[in-house]
Formats: sequence, structure tokens, C-alpha cells
Amino acid sequence: MSKNSLDNIDAKLTEMLTNSTRVFDISMNALLGDTNLDSVRDDLYDTDKAINELHREVRREMIIHSAVNSRSLDIPLLLSYMTMSKDIERIGDYCKNLFEIAETGNTFVKGEDLDSYIELRNDIGKLIVYLQSCIALDDESKVQDLITLGSSISTDIDKRITALLENKEKIQYPVATTLFFRYLKRIVSHIVNAATALIMPTDRIDYLDE
Amino acid sequence: MNLKVVKNLSFALFFLYFFLVSIKLLEKGIKTLGAEYTDQLFESVSNPFAGLLVGILCTVLVQSSSVTTSTIVGLVGSGVLSLEYAIPMVMGANIGTTVTNTLVSFGHIRREQEFKRAFAASTMHDFFNVIVVIILFPLDLITGFITKMAEDGTEFLLATGFTATKPDSPIKNAIKWGSNNILDGLNAVPFIGNLNENSYRVYAVILIIIAIGCIFLSLRNVVKNMKSLMLNQIEMGLDKALAKGGGLFAILIGILITFSVQSSSITTSILVPIVGSGILSIENAFPITLGANIGTTITAVLASFAVDNSAGLTIALHHVLFNAIGVAIIYPIQFIRNIPVNLAKSLAVVTAKRRYVAILYVLVTFLLLPLLGVVIFN
Repeated sequence: MSKNSLDNIDAKLTEMLTNSTRVFDISMNALLGDTNLDSVRDDLYDTDKAINELHREVRREMIIHSAVNSRSLDIPLLLSYMTMSKDIERIGDYCKNLFEIAETGNTFVKGEDLDSYIELRNDIGKLIVYLQSCIALDDESKVQDLITLGSSISTDIDKRITALLENKEKIQYPVATTLFFRYLKRIVSHIVNAATALIMPTDRIDYLDE
Repeated sequence: MNLKVVKNLSFALFFLYFFLVSIKLLEKGIKTLGAEYTDQLFESVSNPFAGLLVGILCTVLVQSSSVTTSTIVGLVGSGVLSLEYAIPMVMGANIGTTVTNTLVSFGHIRREQEFKRAFAASTMHDFFNVIVVIILFPLDLITGFITKMAEDGTEFLLATGFTATKPDSPIKNAIKWGSNNILDGLNAVPFIGNLNENSYRVYAVILIIIAIGCIFLSLRNVVKNMKSLMLNQIEMGLDKALAKGGGLFAILIGILITFSVQSSSITTSILVPIVGSGILSIENAFPITLGANIGTTITAVLASFAVDNSAGLTIALHHVLFNAIGVAIIYPIQFIRNIPVNLAKSLAVVTAKRRYVAILYVLVTFLLLPLLGVVIFN
């Protein structure tokens, strides 16, 4: 199998993650900072479009690669690329959903939990960057670390959502906060799923907990 | 340069040399058979239409126009097949080679829309070649203008001292050395050696069979090793053609890919799943196919280096000119360019709905009609 074309796919996935970091930062700053939403909206949507276009490019690359290498095809690898690119593309979509929370006038800037939210933002931001390095380095132990870290963040978010559902916390925007955590959990899940595609057998990708 | 590249390149060069030696062996086998016998053998293709259909049939059977055209070059080079008979056979080889990618399109038969695109992508090559033959075959038969151009080209190359065409060129000497050694090796086998002395016709037939087998084997290995060597470049080329969206650049990509792997079927068969998946339009795949049609002619030119008679080079140049003129007629004007594409699309609409029509199409076009034609014209 030709290495260069697959390197090209890796490069596109990495670029998708760079763009994902950008849309994640924009949307989180919109919720946790004093960002003027009008000034960043176009950037956010344009970056998301760029992610979608890269996703399509990855698919095209895979078709061309399959057509050219039809007799020596690494099908599990291509399937993992397919699922990874889809997971990474979904990060952008959830970031847009986060931005939409901010657009409806909800902000967590003055909330008591701002510091913990910022910490969460930093952790998830690092997770995206970590996934980039996992793709570049092809190091199984690093991927395992990422999965462990992501699962721990996910469990933490789950606890917060459960607390909200049980009305244990008094907060200013309960619906917005629930959605906020829900979207963050989805983002973390997609990062972890993309990571599982790097090391798990094809049939077990996305099914870490089973 | 890594080990795999060195291995593929060495094998490709070895089998290219072996291919040329095989052409020389074929030439020797034919000459051993004797003019009287070979005249009878090729009487069946004395009718140009029969020659055309024999060209189609032979190519369908060996699934490679390069094998057919190289064998024809060998036959012309040995002097037993005249240019007049060989030209329609080469045109037939052009049509016959398109069966390979049509068969590849059957891999998409489970999904209607995908199959429709894939089948159209493969049959536009059929329609193009048939249309070009309809236009140029009678025209060349009557006026002989392509033949004249090919003869002028041969004279020009010989006059300029193009090394490979000279009788005493190092390439020709190396080929002769190889074929003489193989012949010596064969003659050393007691059974074959006895035949050489006592029954020269049986000996010649064995030699011809071995030579055609070697042509097939060597070309297959050249293609295999060159494809392995060029995979990245092919992908990059297709990526670029995809980005540019067709035009002359796509023709050039088609020529380069086919030239590098020595097989138009590889290029056109790669296009089928790409078009089938919908990421490349049929219109944009068309110029790549046309490029493949031109690129494939290089094999016959290479084969001509192995033969002594300059007519071998003439038939090879005729193949180049015929395919290039075909592209020059069909491609520049959009209305004309759309004819083979639209015909292929229309047929694909029918075959996607009734898939047995696709199977019928292949059987009738590539087997039944040529067989029937050969019987009628003889």
C-alpha cells in the first residue's frame, strides 16, 4: 500500500483537528468570555465549512486510494479513517451548537462555576491537541492515555448532568447549562471514538464501554 | 530509493527486455514457419473487416491490447503480415481492450445509481473507439492518409538515425543476443532440438506459442511492477485531474499514467470505481480515458525496436497516429465530445434498470458480433 497517499489522509485529519480546536475555542470563548458574537460568527461558520470540506476530501482520497490499490487494500485502516473523519467532523457541529447557546443570550461569564468551566474547556482543548499528536505519532500508549483521560472527563460531565437533572445545583440557566454539558460530553465522546479507531479492532471502534 | 523501488524497477526493466526478446522470438518463429504456410494462415484476415474483428476477438481473449498490438508488430516485423492487413487488426485491438473496464463496472452492480455511473464510465471508452473506427477506418482504407503519415514518420526516424530503429543499434543487438541465447537453450532440449532438425514447422509453432506466452507473461510483469512503482504518482495524478476537472490536463494525466504502467486497462479500470462513487463526473473522466488511449500506443512502439523490418515501426506509428487523430477529432468540439459520453449514459440508464442488458451488451459486442463477422467476412 502506498504510504504517501495515506500520509495525505493523516494530514487532512490533522488539519480537521486544527480547525476543530479553532471552532471549539471560538464557541467556548463566546460562552465563557466577553466575546462580541458578531465579530466571530463568520469565522466560526467558515472554519466549520472548512472542516466539512476536509471531511469530503478525506473520503475522495480514500476512494482514489481504493481504486488505485484495489489488490492490496488495507480495508480495516480505511474503515478506521472513515469513522475517525466522521467523529472529527462532528466536533465542529457540536461547537456550533455551543455557539448557538451563546447566541440565545446565555452566558456563563458571571456564574459561580466559571472557573470549573474554564478548567473543563482547557482539558477538552488539550484532548483535541492530544488526538492530533496521536495521529502523527502512531503511539498506542499515548492513545490509551487519551482514552483514559477522555473517559474520566466524560464521567465528570455525566455527574454534572445528573446533578442538574436531580436539581441538586442552583444555577442561573439550567437548560442552557444542561445543553452545554451535553454538547461537551458529545465532543469528548467523538474525540475518544476517533482515538479508539486508531488502535481498536474494526468491530469494536466506538464501543469502548462494551 | 528504498529496496522495494529498486526491486520493482529492476523487475520492470528485466521484463521489458524480456518482452522485446519475446517479440524477436516471435519474429524468428514466424520466419521459420515459412512464407508459404504463413500466407495461408493470414488469408483469413485479408478482408479488412475480418481483420478488425479478429483484432477485437484476440484482445478480448487475452484482455490486453498491448499483447495484441505487440504480436501484430512482431508479425509485421517478420514480414508475413502486411501493413494493409495489420492496420484493421490494431484498430480492432483498440475496441477489444475496452471490455476489461466494462467488466470492472460489474463490481458495482448491486447499487443502481453507482452501477449507472460506473457502466457509463466504462462504455464511453467503447463508444469512443467504435466512433473513431467508424470515421477513420474507411477514411484510411480509401485515402491511406494515416498509413502515409506513419510511413513518413518511419522514414523520418530512420533518416534522423533514431538509435533504436537502426539495424545495428545497441538495443537491437542486445535483443538479438537474448533471443539467440534462448533459442540455443531451447535447441539444447533434445525433443525440441530434434524437431528443429526434422520437423521445422512443428518447431516453429512451438516457438511461436512460447513467444506469445512470453509476451503475455513479460507484459503482465512489466505492468505489475510499474504499477507498484507508480502507485503514489497515479494517486497524485488523479488527485490533480480531479482538482482541475478535466480538459487537456486530464488527457495528459491519462497519457502519463498509461505510459508509466504500459496498460490502458489499468488507467480506465481505476476510473470506473472513482466515477461510480460519484466523486469524478463522467465528463471529466472522459479526457483521462482518451489520454489512456494515446498512452497505450507506446507498447507497440517499444515492440517495434525488437524487429528488423521497418514496417514494424510503421504499424506502431500508425497506432499512435490513429489514436491521437481520434482524440483530435472527437475531443475539441463539445458537441462531438458529448456524443460518446451521452451514448454511454443512455446505455447505462437502460442497464441500471435491467442489469441483464449489461451482460448481453458485453457478450454481443465483444464476442457474438465479432465471431459472427469473422464467419461472414470469410
